[in-house]
Amino acid sequence: MSNGWEWLQFDFMRLAFLAVLLITPLFGLLGTMIVSRKMAFFSDALGHSALTGIAIGVVCGMEDTSLAMVLFAIVFALLLNRISSKNAAATDTIISVFSSCSIAVGLAILSRGGNFSKYSSLLVGDILSISRREVVYLALILGVTLIFWVCCSNWLEALSLHRALARSKHIPVRAMEYIFAVLVALIVTLSIKWVGILIINALLILPAASSRNISQNLREYHFFSLVFAVFSGILGLILSYYTNVAAGPMIVILASLIYFATYLYGKKIA
Amino acid sequence: MKNKYLFVLLLLLAMSLLGYGFVWRYKGQEQQEREGVTIVTSFYPMQIAAMNVVGDCQGVTVECLSEPQTGCLHDYQLTPQDMILLSHADVFLVNGGGIEGFLTEVAKEYPGLVILDAGEDVFSGEAHSDSDDASGEVHHHGENAHAWMSISHYKQQIESICQGLSQADPAHREVYRQNADAYLVKIREVEKLAGEVREQAAGTPVVIFHEAYEYLAEDLGMPVEGLLNLDEERQVSAGETADIIGTIQEHGIRMLLAEELYGKDMGRTVEAETGCRVYNLDTLVRGEVTADAWLIGMRENLRILQEALCAK
Repeated sequence: MSNGWEWLQFDFMRLAFLAVLLITPLFGLLGTMIVSRKMAFFSDALGHSALTGIAIGVVCGMEDTSLAMVLFAIVFALLLNRISSKNAAATDTIISVFSSCSIAVGLAILSRGGNFSKYSSLLVGDILSISRREVVYLALILGVTLIFWVCCSNWLEALSLHRALARSKHIPVRAMEYIFAVLVALIVTLSIKWVGILIINALLILPAASSRNISQNLREYHFFSLVFAVFSGILGLILSYYTNVAAGPMIVILASLIYFATYLYGKKIA
Repeated sequence: MKNKYLFVLLLLLAMSLLGYGFVWRYKGQEQQEREGVTIVTSFYPMQIAAMNVVGDCQGVTVECLSEPQTGCLHDYQLTPQDMILLSHADVFLVNGGGIEGFLTEVAKEYPGLVILDAGEDVFSGEAHSDSDDASGEVHHHGENAHAWMSISHYKQQIESICQGLSQADPAHREVYRQNADAYLVKIREVEKLAGEVREQAAGTPVVIFHEAYEYLAEDLGMPVEGLLNLDEERQVSAGETADIIGTIQEHGIRMLLAEELYGKDMGRTVEAETGCRVYNLDTLVRGEVTADAWLIGMRENLRILQEALCAK
């Protein structure tokens, strides 16, 4: 193969490509909801909670720490949601407390005995870590998210505009928030091993933020976010293969370029 | 509104073209097809060893997976480019002893690739317990993969590499044998120097700040009273530092062997606390890619120790 498709000759690249095709639409769709609901900090905290999840898995002697990571992220997301809605303190303060505490616990356990470097690949991601099982999970989550998005995106938009108004329209506000938090937790934790803790949030936020720069209605907002996410994902993966740069950072660099270009364009047409 | 869609289309096209430029540049560089036998080594010490056994052998290329400055491969993360390099390899030369944690992954991806484990004989013969480290754990040499730091183990590795390559590439068997023999003669000269240092050391106890020195200390007959393993993958707690200071004081240790890159600050702290002198040695795991690198590095280590023992 020497026609520009040789990057697909390896199993790990085919798996990574499949994962990108599944995960980037998810990032695009959920990103719009996260940006609309001003939850960027929330998803960032979820990414950081992955460290604690892995640490718990290590302490419990689990061979595959992914399950511990996913379970902990779900509990973390639900708890964070609950406390944020109950507490009078500003949401960003509560998220910051949870995020810092979760990183500290994770680091304390994982760095015990001075062996944190074993887990340092989690910070920048490793594309070779994608397994077939994870791709199947991603496909399942894509299915669930699509159903959720088709059924509930209008409710979520209403919720992001005005919570009390949404409740008065008999929208199950609490249930929506919980389901959404669990979905974000699942997607973040299942992608974190190959995208990396440090930048996973950028992948969720950047396509939606870029789309917001140039969109004038909801349809455009979702459409452009999806296009930007899928485009930066695929091109980033291919370029990372040829330039020997980790895939996560490369995808984020491309998504950032799109953001800056749309920002300038948005300012021009405003 | 149409302008917006046109803008997005042009933006994505421009980025794709830019990306294609990168790919095209890369492919231009990759056009030179590899011919003959390609030996890919896992990291620096194996690269130096392979370079000596292969020598100027026509049609045999030695390449290395990691950069010469990478150091030890503990928890090394394979990149897509590593996988590409391995896909062109005929032989993958590794040190063994668990230092290449990604071997299972490689074997699974390339079932036909010959994996030559240079340390197979060294590590299969070792299981005896040795010194206690600062944490009180008993250390087994079987867990210490830095075999190239022992002159006798290194000779064994060269022999294994020669035999393994001769089996994988019988056409160059004679050349490999001649080169290995010539290299072994040079290693024996270093061994002779080590013998002199051993006599001078006369059982002087040491504390080491890298498990790689355990082998060297054993070669030189210097009992290791304490080990604090400082390398690229290690963060040390205050408790461990206190333990090692306690060990030095308890045994009256006067010599501490450390690696400058990771043990410098800790060495300075311990030196100030105990008065024990720190000697920075080379772990021979990174440096210039020249065939004589191991010989020069090991001679320099022995010279530093000789001077230290004279001063003592």
